[in-house]
Amino acid sequence: MGSSFTEKHDVVVVGAGHAGCEAAMAAARMGLKTALATINLDLICQMSCNPAVGGIAKGHLVREVDALGGVMGEVIDATGIQFRLLNSSRGPAVWSPRAQADKKAYRIRMRQVLESEPNLRIKQAEVVDLVLESGGASHRPRVLGVRLRDGRAVEAGAVVITTGTFLNGLIHCGEQTYAAGRSGEPPSLMLGEALRRLGFEVGRLKTGTPPRLDARTIDFSQFQVQPGDPIPTPFSFRTRAITQPQTVCWITSTNSETHRILRQNLYRSPLYSGQIQSRGPRYCPSIEDKVVKFADKLRHQIFLEPEGLDTNEIYVNGMSTSMPIDVQIAMVKSIPGLENAEMIRPGYAIEYDMVQPTELTPWLETKKIQNLFLAGQINGTTGYEEAACQGIMAGINAALRVQNREPLVIDRSQGYTGILIDDLVSKGVDEPYRMFTSRAEFRLRLRIDNADERLTPLAYHAGTIRQKDYEAFLEKQKRISVATKFLLETHLEPGSRVGREIYAKLGLIRGGELLAPAALTGAQLLRRPEMNVEDLTAWINEALAAQGLSPLGGPDGGLFAREEARRLETDFKYEGYLQQQERQVERMKRAEARRIPDGFDYHKISGLSREVVEKFTKVRPLTLGQAARIPGVTPAAVSLVNIYIEILQRRAAMGAE
Amino acid sequence: MKDEDTIAAPATPPGRGGIGILRVSGPDAVEVTEKVIRPTKRPFPPRHATLADFLDPQDGRVLDKVLVTYFRRPHSYTGEDVVEISCHGSPVILGYLLQCCVAAGARVAEPGEFTLRAFLNGRMDLSQAEAVRDLIESQTLYQARVAALQLGGSLAARLKPCRQSLLELMAVLEAGIDFGEDDVPVMDWEDIQRKLDAVHKDLAILAESYRFGRIVREGLALALVGRPNVGKSSVFNRLLNMERAIVTPIPGTTRDLISETASLGGLPVRLLDTAGIRTPQDEVEKIGIERTHQAIADADLRLLVLDASEEWHSQDSELLRQTAGLGRMVIVANKTDLPVRIARAAINEAVESIHSEAFAETPIVYASAKTGEGFVELKERIMAALTPSHAGTAEGEWLTNARHQQIIHRSLEAVQRAKHATQQRLPHEMILLDLYEALRRLSELTGETNVENILDVIFSKFCIGK
Repeated sequence: MGSSFTEKHDVVVVGAGHAGCEAAMAAARMGLKTALATINLDLICQMSCNPAVGGIAKGHLVREVDALGGVMGEVIDATGIQFRLLNSSRGPAVWSPRAQADKKAYRIRMRQVLESEPNLRIKQAEVVDLVLESGGASHRPRVLGVRLRDGRAVEAGAVVITTGTFLNGLIHCGEQTYAAGRSGEPPSLMLGEALRRLGFEVGRLKTGTPPRLDARTIDFSQFQVQPGDPIPTPFSFRTRAITQPQTVCWITSTNSETHRILRQNLYRSPLYSGQIQSRGPRYCPSIEDKVVKFADKLRHQIFLEPEGLDTNEIYVNGMSTSMPIDVQIAMVKSIPGLENAEMIRPGYAIEYDMVQPTELTPWLETKKIQNLFLAGQINGTTGYEEAACQGIMAGINAALRVQNREPLVIDRSQGYTGILIDDLVSKGVDEPYRMFTSRAEFRLRLRIDNADERLTPLAYHAGTIRQKDYEAFLEKQKRISVATKFLLETHLEPGSRVGREIYAKLGLIRGGELLAPAALTGAQLLRRPEMNVEDLTAWINEALAAQGLSPLGGPDGGLFAREEARRLETDFKYEGYLQQQERQVERMKRAEARRIPDGFDYHKISGLSREVVEKFTKVRPLTLGQAARIPGVTPAAVSLVNIYIEILQRRAAMGAE
Repeated sequence: MKDEDTIAAPATPPGRGGIGILRVSGPDAVEVTEKVIRPTKRPFPPRHATLADFLDPQDGRVLDKVLVTYFRRPHSYTGEDVVEISCHGSPVILGYLLQCCVAAGARVAEPGEFTLRAFLNGRMDLSQAEAVRDLIESQTLYQARVAALQLGGSLAARLKPCRQSLLELMAVLEAGIDFGEDDVPVMDWEDIQRKLDAVHKDLAILAESYRFGRIVREGLALALVGRPNVGKSSVFNRLLNMERAIVTPIPGTTRDLISETASLGGLPVRLLDTAGIRTPQDEVEKIGIERTHQAIADADLRLLVLDASEEWHSQDSELLRQTAGLGRMVIVANKTDLPVRIARAAINEAVESIHSEAFAETPIVYASAKTGEGFVELKERIMAALTPSHAGTAEGEWLTNARHQQIIHRSLEAVQRAKHATQQRLPHEMILLDLYEALRRLSELTGETNVENILDVIFSKFCIGK
């Protein structure tokens, strides 16, 4: 069998989007010979939709990808042209970075990063089928490699498929439909057929994108300007500076004329004519959907976002549509400032195949075929960040499989990445899945400032973190723990320069005398709502220096100084809430510790309804905790499973004696 | 899984005999007990019964003398630390003791949970495993039954608007966080406070309506109902063991509401003797009758008094129907000292014709206020009616009720914390932490919700997405 292979790699990744690139980089960094196959290698990590990375909850995901040794954060930091920290008026748990990307610069930069990785080979090729070792009755078949369109076969220890919207992609633009992976690129038809043939449960989803306009034909004076933050918040813990020139975005809105045009032409929308049957995301509706579903809303926000520094292309965020082109032109022109706007590309909707993610284990391997991993949009998600976090996890686990090591699974208390994957494999999807902070039951501990604390040690153990980066991480941890101890134990002297300032600010000094019974510790000070850590940063840095450590933010201070300081503050200011959350985490961990044996037969449990047996059998949860999260499963059903596990274990123990 | 928290439940069937045992099991069993019980010896010596006082946490009053036995793990029924508290008092006291343990940090055990823990902790061998399985299976059925009951039940119906407003508030706050970039309305602090106040008030009323605690503190309100001259006042006096109301053979003599406090099974009882219900002859009587209706509705328990020496009367049917929807009742067929003319079957038939499920298990007691015959049974029936019991199961419907109370109480506490956080203007995600807790508790009663639920509300209410 192996003799017909023309090439051999440890890991082959199919698709070079946001999932594929992370998967390939992770496997390569773990020392495995990795190949990344893409239909068009000039469009690596192309942003098919919004030219932006991050956003609420998505920014968290990028930080996690970075903490796991991924590259998305570095690339956007190097190519971002407007950075904003969203939700900055709220609590630290929901602060999330977002950046406009220079779309072309982003994909060029990504390709450079991939090419600089010695273990990685990029191949322009269309993968059309999988080569399987036929499984016997007793064990599942294993993937041995992939077959290319030109007939060659490539051997692989493990295969990661990340096809995005390319699987049987079908574009709708008004009454017109045509097969495509995205605008201007061919779809992947044969691989889609292969997956169906292998018996995977395949579903169909829809997503959409807005028109792009020519900046030279837009009157920007009509819009509200949305600038970036004066101090950008980077995505990568390794970024020391943002050097790219920065730009602005603009905000406007639709009006009654826009809505009239849409309503009048509704019958021509593929969404309403019945031409599109599959489900799109509710949180990213097309403009025609918004006008119909929220008929009493007189205006909808529109953001105009540049696609790059050296292009005139403007992305019309908020106007995703599959209307015919003449309607799109009319609706654009109905907005003041866009009267003369010329469209560069029309918006469109695309339907594509996905594999129901209940087909996967929590480490993203298919249950049907060993050593085959799926990541990204093929698993029913939407968004570059959602794709990237699955990509890196699939890449790490594919590599671990080839290395014969235990899989890496991130649990729901460790990261949004874990939540996303657990939701997918336990619940399946019926609409494109996007991350929200409200999906996290332990939201307060899953912050952007501690993504590295949560995940980097795991990734280092797996092998995706370079030694020098790990040392920088350890040094940061040292700073944080020394500073925490210092704040807990040290009283701020009222006589010191910082002390005079702070106690005066708090109204605790009168006539040079401290009114409080005693000087307060840093921790006590930070627990007071009117105190900001910024006032104490100099004091903390003195203490760090005294112990031979760098100031907060690292040797060059820089972009992370503010974040590290606030991280300290958060621990004290929200101590009670964090402790409450920790107790919840403990509860969850106990349920996760109870493992359900491989191949557990739910049909043998009398008392379980057939519906519940079917659910368990389909998802095959690994732990009682996961079992309880399957929709429609009652606590009593979980108790029954628990009893049977115990009975089985005792029988096994008796048999062993 | 709920391993390792501390659970409590009566270990004896409710409503029977003089002694009831409450079992507390789990790592905090001793800690919970010590918050509720003042022992004569401390620490509790293992496997010895220690005399102690059960104190009302509300006012520190001694409610009962109890015996406390501590079984240190693993030498206990469940294999965990177990404390068993035996009380002398009525099942109501036992119920209140459970309620106090819950307030002290325990959780009401699920049916079969002690046995499940015993099994999982290796205190039972495999041959007993089948029994455990049967128990949990019946628990599945039980949950289904309770869920079915609650679905159409009054509690779920009462909770629904409260749960809905909580859910909507959470959806607005979540939308503000997750879609802060979108054009979603931001709720101001005063608005949040108002919404929380409304939810809090609703839940507080519900929590307060729970019977055990209130009955122990304020006494049980017992209303006597019956057509004129069936001997309500005699029954009243016999229960009080004193001549108080005016007893005459002339119909309508007892015009006013008479309230008197007696002691029944160690509990204060407020007996409400009601004016005989008939078409009012004058204004005074009319007012009396209106007050009567209110008192009947407010009482914890109703005694419908019949005259056993007379045939079933159409007015009896009328009273039966009026009383049916108000809550628990006991039927007393009085005057058994005279020749009995109403057969039990006839009363049963009348009761069944009402077609009210809660009403179907109404006990019927034949008694004579004149001789005292049947009054021992009547007192037992009254006590039993206060602690809902089913087929003698120790972990039956009583637990459902205790669980309701516990759940609503925990939910209320969480809302209280959220209110506090709102006053302090803490970030919304902190407030939401407690609101999720409150919602999760309520959902245990209504059996719904997860995150998708909140997202559903968000997407239906707000135009989200760019």
